[in-house]
Amino acid sequence: MAITKDIVGKKLDRFDFTVERGKIKEFCLAINEKNPIYFDVEEAKKAGYSDVPAPPTFPTVIMFWGYPKIWNDMAELGIDLSKILHLKEEYTYHKILYPGKVYAQSEISDVKSGRAEIVTFRTTIYDEKDDPILSAEMAIFIRKD
Amino acid sequence: MAKIQFDKVEVGQTLPPLDIPVIEHANLVRYAGASGDFNPIHNDPDFAKKAGLDGTISHGMYVMAQVGRLCTSWADQKDIAYFGVTFKAMTKLGEKLTIVGTIKKKFEKDGKKTVTVLVEAKNEAGEVKAGGDLVVNAV
Repeated sequence: MAITKDIVGKKLDRFDFTVERGKIKEFCLAINEKNPIYFDVEEAKKAGYSDVPAPPTFPTVIMFWGYPKIWNDMAELGIDLSKILHLKEEYTYHKILYPGKVYAQSEISDVKSGRAEIVTFRTTIYDEKDDPILSAEMAIFIRKD
Repeated sequence: MAKIQFDKVEVGQTLPPLDIPVIEHANLVRYAGASGDFNPIHNDPDFAKKAGLDGTISHGMYVMAQVGRLCTSWADQKDIAYFGVTFKAMTKLGEKLTIVGTIKKKFEKDGKKTVTVLVEAKNEAGEVKAGGDLVVNAV
């Protein structure tokens, strides 16, 4: 099934997520990040942070753990999950992402169809005061057989 | 970590590279659990083969996270304004990556100093797996 431009602007469900220090630690261990600012609040404070910060690519954790429904949404859009490859990921940071409650809202921001099908999702992550912490753009490429 | 000094970096200057250990299945299983990305092309060799791949491939985001480690080893995370990559080739098990960075642009506008770095993950043959920009606020 071909993907069409009709889905551009479609919003996915808003979701809440709690960033936990333990999850930051687990993520850092998985990527071999050893800087103590990500593990120890005191070390983070010494480096000028108010708590352990989440490393630059941690927002992916919020998206997958916070919104596992993305797979169903993609399948419903006609995307064959066995054929997708990640094409692009971009983060624009407004604030440091710290442990605490956040919420996120994604929408489909672009579709390229034809020989190569590319779908782009834009997600903004907000703090509890509704201030944006960061925005993310994820583009996926759908392989042809 | 010290802030990036605008006057002390030059276009073309390179960052100290970061060598990543060989990517093994266990790295990807662990990354899947930590990140929540359980797409079976990264953790199920049979599924990956049925999907037309030689075997499981790395999460692109695992590679991007390694590029991110170079970024935060060079700049204070508080000063990072933008970090984005394009994935150019699949990373397979057994590959050994090196993360490199080269100052691409220096820019001053309205008293705000910005440095852009081209950051890339390459394998031993020099094939670029992911490449993009890191934008850092400088002083």
